[in-house]
Amino acid sequence: MALRLLTRNLRNRISPNLCSASLLHSHATSFGFKEVREEEKSQMVGKVFSNVASNYDLMNDFMSAGLHRLWKDRLVSKLSPFPGMKHLDVAGGTGDVAFRILESINSIRRRALQDPINDDLQEETRIYVCDINQNMLNVGKNRALERGLGEDKSLVWVQGDAEALSFEDNSMDGYTIAFGIRNVTHIEKVLTEAYRVLKRGGRFLCLELSHVEIPVFKELYDLYSFSVIPRLGEVVAGDRESYQYLVESIRRFPPQEKFASMIADAGFQKVEYENLVGGVVAIHSGLKI
Amino acid sequence: MYRTVVSRILLSGGGRRHLLRHRDLRTVICSSRFSTTTETQTVPNRRPLNPPDPSTSSSSSSTSFQTSSAAGDVPRHERQNPRAEYEEEQARVLQASLQHVIRLGWSEETMIAGAKEVGISPSIVGSFPRKEAALVEFFMDDCLQRLIDRIDSAEELQNSTPSQRIDRLVRIRLEMQAPYISKWPQALSIQAHPLNVSTSFKQRAMLVDEIWHAAGDASSDLDWYVRRTVLGGIYSTTEIYMLTDRSPEFRDTWMFLDNRVEDAFDLKKTIQEAKHLAEAVGAGMGSFVGKVLQR
Repeated sequence: MALRLLTRNLRNRISPNLCSASLLHSHATSFGFKEVREEEKSQMVGKVFSNVASNYDLMNDFMSAGLHRLWKDRLVSKLSPFPGMKHLDVAGGTGDVAFRILESINSIRRRALQDPINDDLQEETRIYVCDINQNMLNVGKNRALERGLGEDKSLVWVQGDAEALSFEDNSMDGYTIAFGIRNVTHIEKVLTEAYRVLKRGGRFLCLELSHVEIPVFKELYDLYSFSVIPRLGEVVAGDRESYQYLVESIRRFPPQEKFASMIADAGFQKVEYENLVGGVVAIHSGLKI
Repeated sequence: MYRTVVSRILLSGGGRRHLLRHRDLRTVICSSRFSTTTETQTVPNRRPLNPPDPSTSSSSSSTSFQTSSAAGDVPRHERQNPRAEYEEEQARVLQASLQHVIRLGWSEETMIAGAKEVGISPSIVGSFPRKEAALVEFFMDDCLQRLIDRIDSAEELQNSTPSQRIDRLVRIRLEMQAPYISKWPQALSIQAHPLNVSTSFKQRAMLVDEIWHAAGDASSDLDWYVRRTVLGGIYSTTEIYMLTDRSPEFRDTWMFLDNRVEDAFDLKKTIQEAKHLAEAVGAGMGSFVGKVLQR
């Protein structure tokens, strides 16, 4: 109920100038609860992330009470990285997922130190961090320097669009996208591209804020995301609009089952998903054969 | 498990034996909540999958909501295409992994090596929910299949006594894991892991049933549970004995096995004798009481 009132308020507040625009153009898409033209969405999303880049990690910690770290750990443990892996992390500008994968591979190497074959493989490990937003990539590069990974050949920073990747067909062992697919204009295109770049046996994993269906928790979660997060954004990052967009875009993202069927439609097999914290986030996975 | 089986025999009345036997068979198969991937795929439509592997519980235990809301019913779902292609690929990977077991053990590294060998991305290893366990279970299934093939083709078994046949079959089966003997303790520990234990019990039960069936022992005087328990015991103790057997070609193990099978058949005789004795005593008592009453 609270949500419905809130959303109605929001729609009323936002709609006058944009709804008229969306009626004129048939190719409308969503930007949070707003309807915008497809061409505009990527620009608007780009603006949001340029705004939040500097405070991105601080805000993530604040909003999820640190849980996002556990979620990313879970994502990487589901991926089970291996030495010599070619991995593509899309929309991972700040390197959070990429660093975890690299750590995981290094610890495997330490475990299997007696095996000389693995040492050569380690040299071949490549983790490509692809993000459409240069500001986010810069944050990630700086963090890599802080962690002493600046010289590491395994990390490759690439600016690129998830809907039109610059990588060759069948070139990747793994593909992850964490908290990113929600922001793209065409989810289907992203999935098709993911399928294209993966090798046979390669896996697609997606960590994304999703839909809570548990009754009381749902109300609490809605209250939290519509009242607390935008205010938090205002106070901590000085940017209410971007965080308003964030919570709205979560609501516009397809629910777990729907998204899973979209992944299957892209050609993936063994499509599974796992809800964490009752569905606040979900990890979807698919296997390319 | 053996203990529960025995206690169930003790609890069940003789008349219900037959019914219970079938029910047990079914529960053994259906109640394995941690079933292997191949089994989950036989169910045509989607259904919530098993509780997650240990890493889930550790990561989600801190997310208080999940643990409180879903005790053992973690929302994890899988959609299934009927007889999906990926299962065949997974089986190929596991098959190829077996030859790396001796070098790398029953481990993820082995499976990665297997995947490389069949020329698909080692990433596929991540798609096995319980990685090493999948490999061990695949091996167990593979051995059972080979044993069944052997039973079907072997003529040597036709003209021997049930005890000889059992002895022979257990030996054939154990010889299959002889090449992996240095790594077999690891496999046993994987099978004994709480997440895998139900599948491994089920696989052992199937193995034992198969051997009894092949032994052709259709006698009804000994309960089916007892037979399964006794043979399960023989198989497992011999398996353990084999781990530390350093004699050439496991000669000591096979001697040990002979003795155990002999003991078991003696036990069978003993039980029968005890029964006859009890009947005789009972009859004697009855006539005694009858005489007392007649007076």
